[in-house]
Amino acid sequence: MSNSSVYPTPINAFKQSKRSVLSVIVDNEPGILARIVGLFSGRGYNIEALNVTVVDVENNLSRITIETLGEERVINQIIAQLEKLVPVHSATNLANLKESYEAEICLVKIEFDNDDQDHKILNFADIYRTRTVQKRQHLVVYEISGTSERINKFLDDLTTISGIKVELVRSGPIGLGI
Amino acid sequence: MTSGPGVTNVVTGLTDALMDSIPVVCISGQVPSHLIGTDAFQECDTTGITRPCTKHNYLVKDVNKLSETIHEAFEIARSGRPGPVLIDVPKDVQFAKAKYKSKSEVIFKPHRIKSGSSEIDGQFIEKLVEHIQKSKKPVFYVGGGCLNSGPQASNELMKLVQKTNIPVTTTLHGLGCYPGEDPKSLAMLGMHGTYEANLAMNECDLMINVGARFDDRVTGRLDAFSPNSIKFHFDIDQSSINKNVKVDYHTNTDITLSLKAINEHIESRGVNFDQSQYDQWWNQIEEWRGKNSLLYEQGDEVIKPQHAISRLYELTNQKDTFITTEVGQHQMWAAQYYKFSKPNRWITSGGLGTMGFGMPAAIGAQMANPEALVIDIAGEASFLMNIQEIATAVQYKLPIKIFILNNEYMGMVRQWQELLHGSRYSESYVDALPDFKNLAESFNAVGVRAKNLSELDDAINEMISVDRPVIADIWVDKKENCFPMIPSGAAHNEMLLSKYDKEKPENQEKGKVLV
Repeated sequence: MSNSSVYPTPINAFKQSKRSVLSVIVDNEPGILARIVGLFSGRGYNIEALNVTVVDVENNLSRITIETLGEERVINQIIAQLEKLVPVHSATNLANLKESYEAEICLVKIEFDNDDQDHKILNFADIYRTRTVQKRQHLVVYEISGTSERINKFLDDLTTISGIKVELVRSGPIGLGI
Repeated sequence: MTSGPGVTNVVTGLTDALMDSIPVVCISGQVPSHLIGTDAFQECDTTGITRPCTKHNYLVKDVNKLSETIHEAFEIARSGRPGPVLIDVPKDVQFAKAKYKSKSEVIFKPHRIKSGSSEIDGQFIEKLVEHIQKSKKPVFYVGGGCLNSGPQASNELMKLVQKTNIPVTTTLHGLGCYPGEDPKSLAMLGMHGTYEANLAMNECDLMINVGARFDDRVTGRLDAFSPNSIKFHFDIDQSSINKNVKVDYHTNTDITLSLKAINEHIESRGVNFDQSQYDQWWNQIEEWRGKNSLLYEQGDEVIKPQHAISRLYELTNQKDTFITTEVGQHQMWAAQYYKFSKPNRWITSGGLGTMGFGMPAAIGAQMANPEALVIDIAGEASFLMNIQEIATAVQYKLPIKIFILNNEYMGMVRQWQELLHGSRYSESYVDALPDFKNLAESFNAVGVRAKNLSELDDAINEMISVDRPVIADIWVDKKENCFPMIPSGAAHNEMLLSKYDKEKPENQEKGKVLV
């Protein structure tokens, strides 16, 4: 479709897309996650990663961290829409804060056959200061945390070792403004 | 309503209310708590189904929380940008007992109610007044938010308009915010708005949006929408700001408060507006007005639908009349030819465009205003979508009037098929309509009919004078199209004026994919 459409042209929207991490404080009540997920799918926004946990038992509050893609206008619209939901206390784009920190945790199971592979794995594990969760013959489980980029880098490096089998789980980023 | 099918049927009504910012509290029955999740008889996931079409919803599992929940539901429905709220109550909770908590005993959490800001944005107001003084071609673009803010908002708007001499155009839902007969009114804008309203929007240098949301039916093609204007936006809903159109200044404060503050600012500062500063602008507007975009040619025999509405207006405007509509050509003609002098007299389905809306809306309006004259301006196809409700009107002795512009077509569908799909008509003609006069009588309502021009006024007068529900079957020109029209995807200055206008949409093929 050309630019004369009444609808926004997707090509332009993706061009200026950038990754944003949103931090949302909500009342911990039934259906709240469905409301948020429904808002994203219903309005055509993306969820790249999502993390929900109760953070304040006394006041019954959960913090939801959402990683999403979109140009600035879209991100602002997402925040305005989130803040309209009744159980939502606040929605913040961490990028708009002066100071904020992000972290993600990842568990990696690596199966290997020989000592050469083992050495290479150990080398990367050392560089990235991973924590060893389990180690036996031909199998190791590491825990690595940090920013998503750091974890991506580690996983990229692992792919340079041929013949190993990697299985993993990631929490998605969590973030906190200071 | 009842659980299961009752709930699935109400989804349309809830979505309609959500789109048009109408406060509604809907209480639905649910199967007993212990049966939830077992695929019980008439069970459905009510909160799941209605989540995207309500402002908020609840499943009440503990009777002790019921009164608190209901109070909160009413607060949420009315506050900020109003909307529908649903409360799902399982059968065992309906039968259980608990101590009633009155509203004053409930402590509302402010983050859940989300009323708009009550703080006046002083900078916004100063900037606005400054820009009004500077501008040469300003226009007010007023929407349903102005009505939702209360009738006082219309009074404040009127004051401001009289002081500043700025023209006013309203959206479909804003009709009545500003008197339609007033010379400063440019009437409705948008897809079927007047030539002068749309051209004023296109060429203005200052746009003051009061409670409207830049809907696609109003803006037309976005990249050609009012390219040279400074835009001010009053909207209580933060998410309406910069959603479709980027604005220069905005406020989320309630419109009544903001407009009042502007009027006070003007008075206290002794701001004077040079009444002649817009002379050139008004001359231009009068020139556009001179095109007479709502002109139609009424012959001697066949009733033109526009004429039927004009006559209805002339014969009812001395009474306190409420107009509801269905959706389609008749709705647009009603918006164009029925002039509203005060707010809250016009009830129509705008955002969702729900055929079948008008009669239940008329029933509600008549219930709330037993002495008023309530007329549903309908098309025969829309009317048939909720025909069973005529029984409700008869049973509760509600003397609503159904004024059917009967052209035997789904007229708006036919019009689009003609203009944008090369006259390939499909499923828009109804060859098996009931006899509406007999139909009325079979329900114990009254039926009247006008087959040609000479019978029109008598039919309208009879309809008004009977104190019972009436179905008036007005036979109108079958092939009449609704003009002016901005084809979907076109800009404000690319409008089609009437069928005598030889211009066709520039790019028919492209038009077909638009709605």
